[in-house]
Amino acid sequence: MKQKEQEKAALLQGTLDMLILRTLLYGPAHGHQIGKHIQRTTNDFLQMQHGSLYPALHRLERRGWVSSKWETAPDRNREFKYYRLTDKGRKQLVVEESKWRQMADAVARVMWPAAPGTEES
Amino acid sequence: MRWWQIGQRKSDLERELRADLDLEEEEQRESGHSPEDAHYAARRAFGNPTLIREQTLDMWSWTHVERLLQDLHYGLRQMRRAPAFTATVLLILALGIGAVTAVFSLIDAALLRMLPVQNPEQLVQFKTVSPSFPVDDAFSYPTFKALRNQTGVLESALAFRRLHNIDFEIGGHSGLAEGQVVSGNYFSLLGVRTALGRTLLPSDESVAGQNAVAVISYNYWQSRFALDPAIVGEKILLNNAPFTVVGVTEPEFYGVQPGARIDVSVPLTTELLVNPGFAAAGTRYDVLTAPYRNWLYVIGRLRLGVSREQATASLQPVFAQSTRIAADALAGFPYVRQAYLQLRLRLDPASQGLSALRQQFSRPLWVVMAIVAFLLLIACANVAGLLLARANAREREIAVRCAIGAGTGRIVRQLMTESILLALGGGALGMALAWIGSRTLLALMEHGRTLITLRVHPDPAILVFALTVTLLTAIVFGTVPAWRAARTAPAQGLSPSRRIARDAISHHRFGKSLVVVQVALALVLLVGAGLLARTLANLSSFYPGFNRDKVLLFSVDPPLIGYKDVVPLYQELLARIRALPGVLSVSMSVHEPLSTNVSDTAVRVQGSPSADGSDLTSVDVEPIGPDYFATMQTPLLRGREFTADDKGGTPEVAIVNQSMARHYFGDSDPIGRLVSIPLYRGDSGWMRIVGEVRDVKVHDLRERATLMLYVPMFQAPEGAATFEVRTAVDPESIQTAALAAVQAIDRRLPVYATKTLNDQFANSLVEERLVASLSTVFGLLALLLTCVGLYGLMAYAVNRRTSEIGVRMALGAQRGRIARMVLREALFLAGCGIAVGIPAAALTSRLVASQLFGLLPGDPVTFLSVCVLMAVMTVLASYLPARRAASVDPMQALRSE
Repeated sequence: MKQKEQEKAALLQGTLDMLILRTLLYGPAHGHQIGKHIQRTTNDFLQMQHGSLYPALHRLERRGWVSSKWETAPDRNREFKYYRLTDKGRKQLVVEESKWRQMADAVARVMWPAAPGTEES
Repeated sequence: MRWWQIGQRKSDLERELRADLDLEEEEQRESGHSPEDAHYAARRAFGNPTLIREQTLDMWSWTHVERLLQDLHYGLRQMRRAPAFTATVLLILALGIGAVTAVFSLIDAALLRMLPVQNPEQLVQFKTVSPSFPVDDAFSYPTFKALRNQTGVLESALAFRRLHNIDFEIGGHSGLAEGQVVSGNYFSLLGVRTALGRTLLPSDESVAGQNAVAVISYNYWQSRFALDPAIVGEKILLNNAPFTVVGVTEPEFYGVQPGARIDVSVPLTTELLVNPGFAAAGTRYDVLTAPYRNWLYVIGRLRLGVSREQATASLQPVFAQSTRIAADALAGFPYVRQAYLQLRLRLDPASQGLSALRQQFSRPLWVVMAIVAFLLLIACANVAGLLLARANAREREIAVRCAIGAGTGRIVRQLMTESILLALGGGALGMALAWIGSRTLLALMEHGRTLITLRVHPDPAILVFALTVTLLTAIVFGTVPAWRAARTAPAQGLSPSRRIARDAISHHRFGKSLVVVQVALALVLLVGAGLLARTLANLSSFYPGFNRDKVLLFSVDPPLIGYKDVVPLYQELLARIRALPGVLSVSMSVHEPLSTNVSDTAVRVQGSPSADGSDLTSVDVEPIGPDYFATMQTPLLRGREFTADDKGGTPEVAIVNQSMARHYFGDSDPIGRLVSIPLYRGDSGWMRIVGEVRDVKVHDLRERATLMLYVPMFQAPEGAATFEVRTAVDPESIQTAALAAVQAIDRRLPVYATKTLNDQFANSLVEERLVASLSTVFGLLALLLTCVGLYGLMAYAVNRRTSEIGVRMALGAQRGRIARMVLREALFLAGCGIAVGIPAAALTSRLVASQLFGLLPGDPVTFLSVCVLMAVMTVLASYLPARRAASVDPMQALRSE
């Protein structure tokens, strides 16, 4: 892996965790569904290879924020590994969300200052 | 999930990925792609399955174990697939690690290991210090008893003294043994266990001359009595005095002096039985009562919680009182008395025992340690070079692994694991080599004048040391090649055509610097070896003041078998030996030439300021026989030698040496002046000086001048004596005849220490020989390794640059020119190494300046010869690669592109 790609991956990791947790808030889903959902909701803006979800999912499971179970899909006659949010995961989602909001606010304040004269140029 | 469920985890993940992948493929088909397109589209959308698998499994931390096992398995397979390479690397590493471990195990046995007794850190050795005299470690028996009673700060104290050349007779068979006299609590204080019977008890130390019991060592029991259990209770004769064996000590115990051989221990109250001359029982010099006869070494065990400072302070008044009593007994010698009153007690730590060995071998052993450490560094550099070459050869493999997703860290880890495997292999072999090596080293050390009996045990400390060294070695030689290999871009690794430009420029830089480092280190070693070897040569050819060729030495000890008056015996013996065919002259002395024993005292000279005994300069007194200097061929500067007429009843005479004459008389003639040695011989009157001789080396070849006072043996007879026989033929040939002459006078007379004066001379150089031979061997090994490294680098370079050479030749370069190019490059590298090595050698050689003799650390001849040697070896090492380069066929070389 080249340097730039590694940087991109690191930045995305924390955000990805948050997005997965949020997606699971709607209800349990398997890896493929989560990936498709994120892609669809952002209008194909966040296009990641679906495969890179799996390390994230397993990491979340290890931390106890999601749990997994093999279940049969309702529309296909096959079993998939479904992930669902745990209570800890729910709390973590709130934490991640507020962190993200704080960062977004800070960035916004620098980029688009609220009133003239309140900040040094 | 626990780690043992990892198999299940993996199959679970497989199932999960497969399920989702199949779903993706289905969806692709449903959105209109053909089955084949859908298949590939799905995989593209999904990503690299291997990478995903690895990354996912990575989330679960126990995969590190699995990964390690994977690395190990792969590493071992790599090692098996390249047996020649692996063998070479293992051998080089084994050499370096083995050498270092061997020397360390010796240092551990001789210098570092704690005594094998209970709580050795509580032990302290008693010493006396004073402004006028050097530190002394001998005490009188009354003082010892007074100190032992101080149970406030001491648990107890023990005393001992060595006994040499004991005639140990059992069942009519005699043998020579080494031993000691000890206080009754010696064994209990040290916590020594028995293998058989009992050890000594405090009650054994009660009355002088009684409790004639003996404890023998396990070693002696094994070597002389073959572990016969009937030894306990046996009646034996020690120096003709009857004793009973009461026990055998445990195998681990060897006394408190590492390296000393203790075969038998007896209570110190039996000194008058085994050493009557020394013990002077019943006289006012009786060793058990005389307050100023300092003959015992004392070791104490501090009470728990008491520090050395506390104990010293507490014991000082008791000691002061003892010295006052001793001083009072020296009323006739005011200046000595004064010096006595200035004595203070000092306690030194004794957890590693007392050791003359440590003083003697400490410096040389550390020098050798430094040498092998350098050798190990060279071995590491060598192996690093080899690994680097191999890593370059493995470029394709590494490139492929990069391409399928391995990160730099993963590759480095893999290569490091291989390095550690190699290091462990080399370390294991090295331990085996060290075992052999340390035995050889010991054998080299044991030929000195002091009897050394060291045993190198497998010690946990040594194992830990070897392991640490091994791992450090792996890190040193493994890291950099691993880093360099991992940073290669995969694309470059996979395409062959871009090799020419790259190889010619950067890839060799590290390999070259490794060779330069090796050359520099080898230079330092060779310079050191050269200096030490020349020191040995200088010492060996040094004129010690006498002629050491063709002289036989042997010693007898008549008082051991009961002789009271030795004079007639000695006179008879001298006459008989003189009459033997092949004998030029014969004489005798109390101490061997170049003996480590000292018999010194203070001298009074009449008519000089020192007549009142105020000059406490140390003068060695040596009783000698007639014709001593003629036998030893030491030049007589003034006056005459002793003759057979200088015996009891005739006026007392003496001979001085140059240094003594100069000290007391300046440039004036010493002949006719009067001297006396009342402290050495209580009944000494004034002796007239009748001769002056040249200085000789008395104890050591390196000593400064010793002041010597020679007195006639027959006017001051002592007990044991050494005979010097100068022969016209090989001295060993008359050995039997000389021994026969002794036996003819008295069959029971024990003869020992038979050797030639040349042997004695050689034995006095054992440390120098040890260091010189070891440094030469290791220096040459280092040179060999470096040359191999240089050869390897050149050969590899030529191999890789075949295309470049082909181009050059096609453009018109002559073969000779190509060969010279290779040679020039090799010499350039060697030159860089020499340039770095010379200042380093100059610095390190200054550290061994004190070991040198007859030359300076910066000796230009040595430095120059080593540089020339290095240059010559460089040319030799690069000969084959140069020839190969010159014989490249340009058509073939270019065609392979």
